[in-house]
Amino acid sequence: MSIQKDAYEIIRTIVGDSNITDDPADCIGYRSGPGGYENGTGYDRVMTKLPGAIVMPDTTEQIQQIMKVCARYGVPYVPYSTGFYGPRSHPHVDSALIIDLKRMRGFEIDAKHYYIVVEPGVIYSQIQQICMEHGAYVVVGGGGAQTSAVANLLNDGWSPLSYRIGLPQRRILGLEMVMPDGEILRMGSLSDGEDPFWGEGIGPDLRGILRGYTGLLGCLGICTKMAIKTLPFQPVTPEPQGISPDTSLKLPEKRVKWLNFTMPDLESIQKAHIELGNAEVGGAITKVPLFWRAIAKAEDKEDFWRIWLKETEESVKNFCIVRIMLIGYTSEEQFDYDYRVLSDIMEELGGIERRTKPSDESWFKNADSAGMWLMTGSYVSVDYIMDSYTQAFKQGVSYMELKDRYTPPLMPDFKDLGWFQGCEMGHLGYFEFLMYWDQREDTSGVDQFYVETSKMNIENGYYTSLLSAHQPMMLTGPKYGPNYHEWILKLKEEFDPEWMCHPPVPLAHDEFVRRSPWMKEVCTWDPPEDLPYPERWKDK
Amino acid sequence: MSVIDKIHQDRFDTPKTPFALDIEDLSNFEYDMQHCIKCKGCYWVDHTYMPGMENAVRCPSNLWKEFDSYGAFGKMRIGLHLLNGELEWSDHLLELIYADPLCGACDVGCKRNLDLETGLTLEALRVKAVQDGAGPMPGQKKVIANIRETGNIYGASASRHSWMTEEIRVAEKADTVYFPGCLSSYQKKELAQSTAMLLNRSGIDFMLLPEESCCGNVAFSVGDIAAAREIAMKNVEKMRNTGAKTLVVSCAECYRMWKVDYPKLLKIRTADLGFEVKHIIEAAHDAWQEGKLSLRNPVNLQITYHDSCGVSRLCDDWEPYEGERGWMGTIEPGLTRRRGRQGLYQITRELLENIPGLELKEMQRTRENALCCAGGRGTSFDFPELSAFSATERLREAESTGAEVLVTACPWCVSNFDSVKPEEDPFEIADIAQILLKAAGQEGGTV
Repeated sequence: MSIQKDAYEIIRTIVGDSNITDDPADCIGYRSGPGGYENGTGYDRVMTKLPGAIVMPDTTEQIQQIMKVCARYGVPYVPYSTGFYGPRSHPHVDSALIIDLKRMRGFEIDAKHYYIVVEPGVIYSQIQQICMEHGAYVVVGGGGAQTSAVANLLNDGWSPLSYRIGLPQRRILGLEMVMPDGEILRMGSLSDGEDPFWGEGIGPDLRGILRGYTGLLGCLGICTKMAIKTLPFQPVTPEPQGISPDTSLKLPEKRVKWLNFTMPDLESIQKAHIELGNAEVGGAITKVPLFWRAIAKAEDKEDFWRIWLKETEESVKNFCIVRIMLIGYTSEEQFDYDYRVLSDIMEELGGIERRTKPSDESWFKNADSAGMWLMTGSYVSVDYIMDSYTQAFKQGVSYMELKDRYTPPLMPDFKDLGWFQGCEMGHLGYFEFLMYWDQREDTSGVDQFYVETSKMNIENGYYTSLLSAHQPMMLTGPKYGPNYHEWILKLKEEFDPEWMCHPPVPLAHDEFVRRSPWMKEVCTWDPPEDLPYPERWKDK
Repeated sequence: MSVIDKIHQDRFDTPKTPFALDIEDLSNFEYDMQHCIKCKGCYWVDHTYMPGMENAVRCPSNLWKEFDSYGAFGKMRIGLHLLNGELEWSDHLLELIYADPLCGACDVGCKRNLDLETGLTLEALRVKAVQDGAGPMPGQKKVIANIRETGNIYGASASRHSWMTEEIRVAEKADTVYFPGCLSSYQKKELAQSTAMLLNRSGIDFMLLPEESCCGNVAFSVGDIAAAREIAMKNVEKMRNTGAKTLVVSCAECYRMWKVDYPKLLKIRTADLGFEVKHIIEAAHDAWQEGKLSLRNPVNLQITYHDSCGVSRLCDDWEPYEGERGWMGTIEPGLTRRRGRQGLYQITRELLENIPGLELKEMQRTRENALCCAGGRGTSFDFPELSAFSATERLREAESTGAEVLVTACPWCVSNFDSVKPEEDPFEIADIAQILLKAAGQEGGTV
């Protein structure tokens, strides 16, 4: 069902005939899923709708005009950059307009002051190449090198490379966004001039509107321009090598190197993270799930399972490898010095160095998150934990135990702990807990596990990232804050009183639980009978 | 019982479903269409090779028109709706399915991480279009009719062998057959001439196929399987009857047809064709390595090389497959995925780099990341705007290298590039056979 004809015609005059469509086949090209991040879940099936139309603006002014038309004619819309973020970045109501931002391809680099300015259509691998040519790098988020840097940083933005500046929101500098009424809001130094070099601006820091720990999934306007902090690298641009699928970046051996150390136990891995951070050594430190190694080794899906099913709970528990990327930021001498410091620390902790290739297969420029779907076909990171090292590990163990209860339908992972890394030079532990399943199985357990993780976090007093729009706010809000849900709804009311922007986010997960019979058994909290958002967006 | 079966039996209940690499039934690719994650590996250049803001995309269709529906990821979703009877054929839907040179960029991109059969799915969508009475496009239908009536895509009544000259030696009987294809036989005769002279120069005796006719590339590529199979059967039979051991082609589209799509149509392995299929690049490389072809004549040119799709991403040997898909999507028996690894990337560059005086200046999108010119697989007959758009974009990239000549390995590419290059532009387009012949000490073309 297309959007209102009058609105469609006006928007057509704004962007031109070739940049808007409501053809059914084009709209199907923008359907949520059936594969992808969080696709194949109940949320995908219950909450997503085919869009009514798609528009591709290429300037901020066009976006302003489109949003004003939407406000005037009551057309709900969803901002969309690369379409990778699964059902949560697709329409949840009928006759919605997708505002596809891929033609927003503006890019500038200020190499001297280490920042870039990008629009939503620019992806990480493009940015990384240009940055490296200027002796800098960006943190390519775990979402992958194919993601829009703007969208990624509005939501998450973690990778082992975030070791030096861990918190993604700290890498967001000046920013421009179009609010639901079509007005432009500029943040950081852009609020007081044309130079977006700094994230802080005059008056209250409005970056919190976009995201706190994680983002609000485009329900409060559209970010059209963002300045992003880059980090100093070293002068040699790594060269690509190989033929697909065996491609990698050849690293300058005297300046950049991945090192793997076998550690005696998990405790020594934690200590290694802390000590290396204290010594300010390295550009990345991480412990990755063992099954990622199996993915890297496997020729194909079948080969993965042949490799993986040889593991046991015992072998997984004893897999204690820490991966460290050393970078000679200033010189070869600094690289050598850091290597000696690293070796001393590892020797003290009982770490044994293993052989590694002088190349980077993933994190710098590729970050091939797409490989996460190889094993089972369905994947989502169910939680991001950012806390002290010891607390993050403790939470990881809780996840592991809860996950075991939901296997199947989750894939047998022999209680693998997940992805753990150090951030902020040893001052923070980061844990990302991942789940994999086959969407052709009965996935009720996947949906239930997702919500059960929130209940587990609440019960144990864990601090967690996936609150707000990613979990039922009526479950998490009263327990955290204890009223952050009320504040989010007040913000929504203030900036988007008609809920035109991606309705019914941020209450979409609450709505999903309400609509889904299989979620009743886990709904142990007391949600309101009628969720507080405009009637016009409620599925009758 | 395998470990997978044991776990499957104990803990999971995924039913096993039959699965075959058979494009005549779109349902074979339902799993693939269900599991596209929109990572757009099919669209972007391999991120490791990402050059920056320019030349970042390798999908010509989605570069031409940017709605997701023009990318493989959009078509995978559309395919599911077609399979389930939830979408009617329309002119616009036909454009989405047919405005696409099926260049294989999406397939190698997907198989970097996910191993979905994207390329075969797109072929199967065209077969379904024909099965449903919607496809192919009008221009393509005319070409197929021409092939039926005259054995060539043009409907020409003239001899296919008018490209031959007195200086070219053709044997009545030989171990090698040279198959020039329609384009070189009628339109780009200098390419056939250069190839034949290069074979002569390499000491490879060759004959021509008796009653030679079109390879059927257009019929196959647009989904007319019945017509394509008939052509395949006749051509393979004719070739087998010659008793020759090797078929040499100079057209990348013919190469892909003979090496990959004939076996696909005949449900046999490439190895079971009964003869070897070689592109002139391979034949020349073999001869050069054996010392039969000398490339010592200086060719003082700065060139850039365009990897034609048929000799790069699309030419892995074909092997029929039938099996079952079960737990976690695993299939039994095992399958060696076709990832484009057999592309003639390295040997081509070895030849070019060993020519004295010649400097190879690579484009940013090379090898499996090359941007297709979009002239082949039936595209130019009904979507000339797309063919012109992509060729122009590729020419821009080629000229930006500073090279004087764009060298390629397919008459379709040569023809498409020629058609968009302004007359006053001194930049030249050449076929690799012309360059190799020049290096072998014989003038054979315009370069």
